[in-house]
Amino acid sequence: MSDKYGLKDWQELPLGGVIPEGGNAADYETGTWRTWRPVWLKDGCIHCLTCWVFCPEGAYVLKDGKTPKGKDRKEIREINYYHCKGCGLCAKECPVNKKGKTEAIQFIREEI
Amino acid sequence: MSKFSAITGNGAIAEAMRQISPDVVAAFPITPSTQIIEDFAKFAADGKVDTELITVESEHSAMSACLGASVAGGRVMTATSANGLALMWEMLYVASGMRQPILVAVVNRALSAPINIHCDHNDSMGARDAGWIQIYAENNQEAYDNMLMAPVITEHADVRLPLMVCLDGFIISHSIETMQLEDDSKVKDFVGEHTAYHALLDTDNPSTWGSLDLHDYYIEHKKGQQVAMENVIPVVEEVSERFYQEFGRKYELFESYCLDDAERVVIAINSVAGELKEVIDEVRDAGEKVGLLKIRLFRPFPYAEIAAALKNCKIVTVLDRSTSMGAYGPLFVEICSALYDADPRPMLYSRTFGLGGRELLLNDIRDLFEESKRYLDEGKIEKRSYFLNVRGG
Repeated sequence: MSDKYGLKDWQELPLGGVIPEGGNAADYETGTWRTWRPVWLKDGCIHCLTCWVFCPEGAYVLKDGKTPKGKDRKEIREINYYHCKGCGLCAKECPVNKKGKTEAIQFIREEI
Repeated sequence: MSKFSAITGNGAIAEAMRQISPDVVAAFPITPSTQIIEDFAKFAADGKVDTELITVESEHSAMSACLGASVAGGRVMTATSANGLALMWEMLYVASGMRQPILVAVVNRALSAPINIHCDHNDSMGARDAGWIQIYAENNQEAYDNMLMAPVITEHADVRLPLMVCLDGFIISHSIETMQLEDDSKVKDFVGEHTAYHALLDTDNPSTWGSLDLHDYYIEHKKGQQVAMENVIPVVEEVSERFYQEFGRKYELFESYCLDDAERVVIAINSVAGELKEVIDEVRDAGEKVGLLKIRLFRPFPYAEIAAALKNCKIVTVLDRSTSMGAYGPLFVEICSALYDADPRPMLYSRTFGLGGRELLLNDIRDLFEESKRYLDEGKIEKRSYFLNVRGG
């Protein structure tokens, strides 16, 4: 049985607070923690995937793409805001941002 | 081969650990429990156990390592005393909350300050709310037997809680007594294989332990822990009965000594029961109906069973070997709770004794029985609670 909010009774819980499955961080909406938001700017992005490497929540979503010379590569498709908690690591580590001529990831105040 | 041996209490605990051969022992030495780990370290060095022995830098680390090893899927044990147990404090609650069947031999010793290495029960009594099962032992044999029963109790599917086997420092831990050591293979059969619960090292079935649990679920987990603790009582009865069938020594939730028709009863824990029995025999020979109820299981506390055992008695003296400063002793409080609904309710009073190893001699116990006789005759308790054998009164 569960209550009207879908929360379980004590008898249904695994012992000792164990979570008896893997990969369930995907179900957890860390996006609600966000007060600052990274915005991916497609035109400035060089698809080096540094943001994807650094993102602690796996919020950068990839897709198959090609280099300008036609070789296969992975490219950034979008930011999944369900998981992005707004830590700003991606914008900080982005090599395009670091060069300072243009921006590939903007980091802006979340609108409330 | 089962053999009759002369051995110290610590030696007997170490023998039990050798026979059970847990997967991991993580320990830091402290008087008077040191010999347990010394002996066990020798067994490990001599290849007599398959145990990973982790020598850590503190008791907090010892319990942390035990917890990690238990969550990883191992059968885990350690031993400690007094300030060592106090340093484990934080991890005791984590172990019980995470439902890990860790086993600790607690050799009871007074807590500092003033610094003192001798016996009293303030260490384990201080941990009585930590969610651990506590089983107490009067002598070497009982301590050894409790160690053999402990893994079966803790790992029972209805329980899965950590357990302390408590025995008196020096009086039991360092005294050589003759006792029955059971056959290695019979012990192994009795204890059985360890079955892990969502072991972290089971990488094919990944799990997460120790995650956050707020107001939406914390109290449900605590309710499960409370029910598991209540389940301990029938499990201890069942395991003790199986132990009796296998090894022939009978244990119950508590020991009743001349209790059935006793009018004046003393309730006590651990080694002092030996002296009490001696004096009870004497006083019984003089025709007085006196008896002893010796606590074995202190957590969970068998309230109903103890109340039923005391239904014929008229006056109860509770001997606490620990203090809760500014309150009655922990055992007295439990006995009062157990007897609140008793009708008629016996007269009840508390005596604190033996702190820091102060002896309670046979003559002191004779005086106790004289006192309870006087209180009963006069129908009035003169002093509800005081320390025995203190200079200055």
